[in-house]
Amino acid sequence: MKRNSLMMLVVAALLLAAYGDRAPAEASPVGDLNSPAVDVSAAQGEAVTIQFLTIDDEDMLLATEQMIAAFQASDPQYANVSIEVQSVPFEQLFPTIETAVAAGAELDVFLADGPDIKHYAYNEAIIPLAEYYTEEELAEWVPQSVEEGSFNGTFYAPAIMQSCSLMFYNKDLTDAAGLEPPQTVQGWTMDEAWDAWQKTTVDDSGDGVPDTWGLRWGQGTYQGDYEHGIMRRSAGVKGSPSYMGIGEDGITFQGYLDTPEAIASFEDYRDWHQGDRAVTPQEPIDNIFFSKGAAFYVSPDNAVGTIDRLYPDGDFNYGVTGIPYYADGAQVCHTGSWHFGVSPQSQNQEISVAVAKFFAGPEGSKIWYDAVRQLPARIELLNTLPEYNEYPQQLFNEGLQTIGVPRIQTPGYTEYQQYFGELAQDIAQGEGVEVEALVHETAIQMEQALAKYEGWQEE
Amino acid sequence: MATVTSTAPTIQPAVRARGIFSWRNRQLMIAFLFIVPALINFTVFRYIPIASSIRASLYEYSLLRGLRDFIGLDHYARMLNDWVFWDSLKVTALFVIYKVPIQIVLSLALAVLLQRETVGAGVVRSAVLTPMVTSVIVASIIWAMMYHSQLGLIQSMLGAVGIPRQAFLSDASRALPAITVMMIWKDLGFSLIILLAGLKAIPHTYYEAALVDGANAWEAFRRVTIPLLMPVLMFVVVTQAVFSFQVFVPVYQMTQGGPLDSTKVLVYYIYQQGFRFQDMGYASALSVVALIILIIVSYGLMRWLRPQT
Amino acid sequence: MAVADQTQHRGAAVLPRAGLESDTAKMIRRGGIAVLRAVLFAVISLIFLIPFIWMIFGSLRRETEIFQYLFPLSLHTFYPIEWTLEHYRDILGLSEAGNRAGLNFGRNLLNSFIVSTGVVVFSLLFNTMGAYFFARLKFPKKNWLLAFVLVTLFVPFEVTMIPLYIVVRYLNLQNSYWAMIVPWFASPFVIFALIQYFRDIPYELDEAALLDGASYLHILRTVIVPLAIPGLVTVSLLEFQFIWNLFYWPLIAVQDKDIQVLQVVISSQTTQEQTFWGRTFAGSALASVPVILIFLALQRYYVRGVAATGIKG
Repeated sequence: MKRNSLMMLVVAALLLAAYGDRAPAEASPVGDLNSPAVDVSAAQGEAVTIQFLTIDDEDMLLATEQMIAAFQASDPQYANVSIEVQSVPFEQLFPTIETAVAAGAELDVFLADGPDIKHYAYNEAIIPLAEYYTEEELAEWVPQSVEEGSFNGTFYAPAIMQSCSLMFYNKDLTDAAGLEPPQTVQGWTMDEAWDAWQKTTVDDSGDGVPDTWGLRWGQGTYQGDYEHGIMRRSAGVKGSPSYMGIGEDGITFQGYLDTPEAIASFEDYRDWHQGDRAVTPQEPIDNIFFSKGAAFYVSPDNAVGTIDRLYPDGDFNYGVTGIPYYADGAQVCHTGSWHFGVSPQSQNQEISVAVAKFFAGPEGSKIWYDAVRQLPARIELLNTLPEYNEYPQQLFNEGLQTIGVPRIQTPGYTEYQQYFGELAQDIAQGEGVEVEALVHETAIQMEQALAKYEGWQEE
Repeated sequence: MATVTSTAPTIQPAVRARGIFSWRNRQLMIAFLFIVPALINFTVFRYIPIASSIRASLYEYSLLRGLRDFIGLDHYARMLNDWVFWDSLKVTALFVIYKVPIQIVLSLALAVLLQRETVGAGVVRSAVLTPMVTSVIVASIIWAMMYHSQLGLIQSMLGAVGIPRQAFLSDASRALPAITVMMIWKDLGFSLIILLAGLKAIPHTYYEAALVDGANAWEAFRRVTIPLLMPVLMFVVVTQAVFSFQVFVPVYQMTQGGPLDSTKVLVYYIYQQGFRFQDMGYASALSVVALIILIIVSYGLMRWLRPQT
Repeated sequence: MAVADQTQHRGAAVLPRAGLESDTAKMIRRGGIAVLRAVLFAVISLIFLIPFIWMIFGSLRRETEIFQYLFPLSLHTFYPIEWTLEHYRDILGLSEAGNRAGLNFGRNLLNSFIVSTGVVVFSLLFNTMGAYFFARLKFPKKNWLLAFVLVTLFVPFEVTMIPLYIVVRYLNLQNSYWAMIVPWFASPFVIFALIQYFRDIPYELDEAALLDGASYLHILRTVIVPLAIPGLVTVSLLEFQFIWNLFYWPLIAVQDKDIQVLQVVISSQTTQEQTFWGRTFAGSALASVPVILIFLALQRYYVRGVAATGIKG
């Protein structure tokens, strides 16, 4: 027996050695970056490797592959540029970027979430790209994308796509309730919508739990700012503190998050989730709209792709209406999506910039759109795609341009988002929660967490 | 009870030479060689990171910006007034206090019940071990669905025995107990298997001796099983207390620390500070405090549960 | 082997109960206990298996069905209406969709197997030596060394992860199997556990061997290890599943998809806007089967054999 276990040990060690020896060599070509690889072919440009960090999403990854090929073919000097793609789950993207920066790991270009751009720029985790773009080139994007990609008026990160949340509805369920949602961006006011949600919250079995719910507000199960932060801003008229959502200084929340109308909107938010007028499950249920358990669904247009995937035979009858808004406030959808950031750690900054610029340029954006199928950020592409000029996708195009506002612009967005998520969860779930006090307290906490950014606009 | 003594064998060298190359010193050096590989590994892969965290705790440090100003013990002073930290410490302590005793008692009972090789015991054993081989991420997702206040499987079961629907994860007073139950479910197999192996190692002669003394089953359990199992039991208690103190993933997956901070455990708060608030300096200081607390608690537990000689 | 042999051949030690009973009463009582025990066993098994069963069936049904029949409780809460193997084909990369998504779970299973086995093998070597040192050898200030080892157990990984990554990069191990194996070579948990099991072995045995002039290594191999096999196997199993279920470290340490382990791939099935529940469940089911099999195959090491039954009742 002793001999057998020794044998096993040796065999396992050998196996391991065989695999292990090979792996590092083939896996870390970046380690060889500094070795003389320049002499490959002067005419074809330097042989360099660019590390590109992105998220796990098969459509995006397919698009990336094609964009890389197109980039290499776009100019002979890039023919020898190889681009290594690393993808991580969406949730892990931000920590992975932090880790790569902290560890000084190879990182050249990365996918960056719009509202985080200011955070990265403030922390010098991306380089400014203003010098690589003319005014005319910047004007090729919708203005929200330029604002989201800038920090203190300097352009940092080009956008690859845009977004605006509207309200999807399950036509079978609305028909059953005798509802006909208007197929316009204008859509319903909050009162009208709530009425419709109540009518579609149906408890046929009488067990106290609706068989179908009226509403599912937002994607996933995280009550983040992207969708759940819309109501408080919609509560105020254009230009009012509620609508602005944050002070001019980008760090003040008292007087913006906790205005009377914003607090009223948070109270509505509570009542969606609990009490007599509840229209959405108190604890979120993933996929509830897609499994036909909710009649209305507030989401960007990527839901179209999900429906196509889950119901390849088309047996899901849906429509799109505007996002509900407060009649005495303003209609709002949050904009913003992915950008490309270039790391200051890049050993090949010029080429990295070229990669980012190509990816977000006319050709890259088209390839991306063909695979990912979400609202483009480039105006020309938006105008030339036939589907964005007819219902339902036309509504998203129109929504972006008419009611779309970027999320609050502050280098402390990540901190804000943490607190906001906790606030929304507490309001939705806390029994008998004191909304006003809680919102006010959260505003103070947010200010404390963001105090370190004081004076960021002068930097 | 020779088996539970912790004294090393007395070595009686034939020659007691003096000097570096004496027999005794050579024996010591050879003994030391046994621990050298582990020590090197710990130094490189554990202590360098620990030292670097301790250093970071004395600086303004963020992952994106790196080390900035040296601020001495400011981060530690900040903790004194940080009520979120104190709350998280309380939540963590509660989690450990709820979870560890229940888990240990249950796994001990199951270990005694299931130690024999029968078909029934085999089935139960396998069932109890199953959660252990499921990743905690997936287990958390499934349990969140089971706990769901309206659709959860648990609601259906409660309904079947006439109990009205209860909110678990969205109720500030129940969320932590709910996560505790899930984690006991998840970790029970872990402690069970260690205790089973410990039971297996107890020689039967001891039970027979107790039998001769006229002991009944309970007395035998108390007088033979417990004392002989003590080293293993102590190990299970200490490691489970440490692992439970470091709980993170289920909180991250199921409640994000809410509602109303009722599940915001220390490591979740550390993660938030370090990765979301760009304050790895403070997060490091919090970890150093966590380290100190765990050293004290583990030392106390080991003293308390020290095998009697 | 002397002690082991002594303990093995003894039969069941049944402790006598107080009082005398007639044979029928005894039989009725025994039967009642047997039924009670069967019910208890069934309930315990169900509690532990229900989430797992739900997951397995979830992996075998259409994705839209998974959450559709949760409530009220009915047969279809668990039992699929439309059976499908699509999620398994997807995650194994056997279907068009799986191929398109670049999935190859078989490869990831192999990677996880290599990494977990690698860790266990090295761990058995170094930690056994370490535990032997702590449990049986004489050394000045040994308790301080033990504290040095145990303290490493106490630091939350979330904080030391990044410095650890820097160390691994410095050693140029990143993005390789070694990155996932080498940092876990030595484990405070395993050493701590093995110390407890080694302490159970009578000290007379090593003393006798030492007097015969045997070396420490010889004693470890011929006396300690054979007698501590149950403990060694148990701890190895625990370590195997621990490494098998690691997610965060491989995600950071390894970028190459070809050597990535399975938990990372399972997590990658949650994207920004949706979770591929079917694939997540199928992946989890596939990931747990090999470990369950290993646990079952080795259970004779952590369970008493029939001949060695302990106290009854």
